[in-house]
Amino acid sequence: MQFELLDKPDFTILRVLFDAPGEQVLAEPSAMVARDTAVQLQTELTGGAMAAMKRKLLAGGTMFLNTFTGTAPGQSLWIAPGPEGDIEMLQCDGAAPVFLSSGAFLASAPTVRLDANWGGAKGLFSGTGTFLLKAEGHGALFLCAYGGIHTVDVGQYPSGYVVDTQHIVAWTGGLDYKVRSVGGLKSLFLSGEGLVCEFRGTGRLWISTRNPGSLAAFLQAFRRVGGRGASGS
Amino acid sequence: MKINILYRPAHTMAQIWLAPNESIVAEAGAMVGMSTNLALQTQTGGLLKGLKRLFAGETLFRNTFTAEGGNGELLLAHALCGDMAALELTPPGYFLASSAFIASSPHVEIETRGGGLRGFFSGAGMFVLKATSQAAGQIVVGGFGGIVEMACDGNLVIDTGHLVAWDAALQYKVGRSGSGWIASLFSGEGLVCHFSGKGRVWVQTRNSGAYGSALGRVLPARVS
Amino acid sequence: MQHEITHGPSFAMLCVDLEPGESVLAESGAMVARDSSVGMSVQLNGRRVSGFFGKLKSFVIAVLRKLVGGETMFVSRFAAGTSRGRVWLAPRMSGMLSHREMKGESLIVSTGAYVASTGDIDLRVRWGGFRGAMAREGLFFLEISGTGNVWFNSYGAIETIDVKGSYLVDTGHIVGYEGNLTFTIRSAGGGVVGFLASGEGLVCEFQGQGRVYIQSRNITSLASWLSASLPG
Repeated sequence: MQFELLDKPDFTILRVLFDAPGEQVLAEPSAMVARDTAVQLQTELTGGAMAAMKRKLLAGGTMFLNTFTGTAPGQSLWIAPGPEGDIEMLQCDGAAPVFLSSGAFLASAPTVRLDANWGGAKGLFSGTGTFLLKAEGHGALFLCAYGGIHTVDVGQYPSGYVVDTQHIVAWTGGLDYKVRSVGGLKSLFLSGEGLVCEFRGTGRLWISTRNPGSLAAFLQAFRRVGGRGASGS
Repeated sequence: MKINILYRPAHTMAQIWLAPNESIVAEAGAMVGMSTNLALQTQTGGLLKGLKRLFAGETLFRNTFTAEGGNGELLLAHALCGDMAALELTPPGYFLASSAFIASSPHVEIETRGGGLRGFFSGAGMFVLKATSQAAGQIVVGGFGGIVEMACDGNLVIDTGHLVAWDAALQYKVGRSGSGWIASLFSGEGLVCHFSGKGRVWVQTRNSGAYGSALGRVLPARVS
Repeated sequence: MQHEITHGPSFAMLCVDLEPGESVLAESGAMVARDSSVGMSVQLNGRRVSGFFGKLKSFVIAVLRKLVGGETMFVSRFAAGTSRGRVWLAPRMSGMLSHREMKGESLIVSTGAYVASTGDIDLRVRWGGFRGAMAREGLFFLEISGTGNVWFNSYGAIETIDVKGSYLVDTGHIVGYEGNLTFTIRSAGGGVVGFLASGEGLVCEFQGQGRVYIQSRNITSLASWLSASLPG
C-alpha cells in the first residue's frame, strides 16, 4: 500500500495506491473524494461497540469510521478533509502515543489503535464538540487541519510553549499540558484570545495556522436568517 | 525584532522573534501560540482612540506582547485564509483596509480615516486606517487571498473589496465601476477606487465579501 | 493578447494584457483591477445572437441559466480602446485557475466554474440527472465548446484521474471530464443506512475511457465541517 500527499500545503489531498488485495485503510466519514469502483467500502464501529460507546459518551464525535479494502493491485483511493489546509503523515512507532483532536483525524492504517481518552481532556475542547483521541501502535496516521500545519519542538523552549486551544492539532505523549486563560481574567475577555494550553517537556506539538471559530464568526453576517430552529437539508 | 512569514500564500502565519524587552502590538485574537515568557498587556490606546477604532470596524483592543527575561517567540495569524506582507514604515506612511491590520512595532501610530458617508468598502462595514511612524518601524498586513504588489504609475482602477494597503502618497477616489446605470447595477462589481500618482498598492486576489456570500448561502440559516 | 495565471494553486488570479481592440469576457464580479484605459461593458450571458427575438431568447436562456446553472446572469466585457491595457480577474473561492485553449472540441465542467473566455466560446447547461432525494450539490454541468481561450476555477487544486473501466467520484469534487465517458449518479453507501452512517453523499460513477478532473476540496464538506462551529 502506498501513500502520496499531493497539492501540499494548501489543498492537500491523500492518494492511496493498493498493491495487493486485502489491504485496508481507515478514514473519516465523508472524507472520500474518489476511488476505483472495485474498492470496497464498509462502515463500522471501529474498535468494537465499547470503544464506540466511549466516544459517544464524550458528547460528540462520530461513532463510525469507513474502512476501504482494495481488491486488486493498482486500485486507487483519494481522501481529503472538509476544510482547506494541509495533511501531515506521521509514522506511529509503538513508542509514545499521539494525542489528537478528533477533528484532526483523517485516516490511518488499521494497525493503529484509536481510543477516546476519558480523563485526559482536562477541559481542552470544552464546548467545541471535538474530543481527544489517542493513537497507538505501528503504522501510518494522517492528521488534517484547517490551514497550514506547523511543528513545534517543545524541548527547545525550556519554560514551555503556549498555544490557543482552537489551534491545537496533535501532540506526542510525554508532554505535560495545562489549560489556562491568557494572563488573567481581564485579558481573557478583552484580548480576544480565548483559552490557551501550556505545553512543557520533550516532544512535538502540531498546530494549525487557522481556526474554524474565526471563520464561523466572519460568516455569521452572511448566513440567511432562518428561524425554524431545526436545521433543514 | 525579526519577522518570518511562513506558509504563504494561503495559510500564512507570522513568526515573530523578539529580543529581551522588545515589544510588538497585535490585533486582538491574532495569537496562535507563543513561548511562555511573553507578557501580555491589553490596552485601548486611550479611550477616544479606542472608540474611533471601534467605528472603523476594528476590535476595540490591541495586545502588546513583550519578551521578558530572554528571547521570545510569537505566532500570529489572520481569521481568513490568505497572505501577509511585512512593510517598512517610511513617511508619509500607508493607508490600510481596517481588516488588514495584524501587527506593528509599538511606536507606529494607527488612526482611523473616515471613508466618507457612503463608506469606502461596499457594504462591508470597513473603513480606512492610516499608519505612520516617526522612527523606523514595521507593520504586518494580511488579506484574503494572495497579496500582489502593484505599481501605480499614472492611473489604476481597483475593486475596493480587493484593497489591502497603499502608499499614502497616492491620490485616490472611490466611485462605481462601469458607466451607465445598467452596468453599475448588474455588473456585479461593487465600488472601485481610482488611484493616480506614483506609488504602490497591495491588492488581495480574493474578495472576502463575495466569499462570505458564496459560503453563507450553503450554510444552515441562523436563528436570529 | 498575453495572459498569465499568478498565485496558483491557492488564490489564482488571471492577468490579461489586451492589445488595442481586443477584449475578454468574464463572469460578473470577477474584476480585481484594471488600467483606467480598459473599458467595461455588460452583456447578457447567452449565446451570441442578434436581432430582437434573438435577444429575447438570449435573455430567457440567461434567466434559466441563473436559476438552474449557478452562473450569474450578466457577463462583463473588458475591452482595450486605442492603447494597450491590463485587467486582473479572479473567482470567489480559493483555488486554482486553469487555462484551456479550445479548438472546436467539447469539455464538460461543473456549473459555476466558468470565470472568463475570449474568442468564439459557447456555454450550454446540461442536466446530469440524479437518483435520490438528498442532492445538495449541483448536478448540472456546463458544456464548453468552440474556439478560443477559456478559464475555469476549482475549489482547491486540480488532479487528473485517467479512467479505464469504472471509477466513483464524489459529486462535489468533480471539476470536469472529457473523452468517452458515461456516468450515473447514485448514493455512495449502498442502502439508506449506509448512506447516513458512512457520511458519503452522492457519487458519480464514470464508465468508459477518458479523463476526469477532480478538485481537492468541496464546498458542501466545508459547510458540514463548519456547521459544528457555528453559533445558533
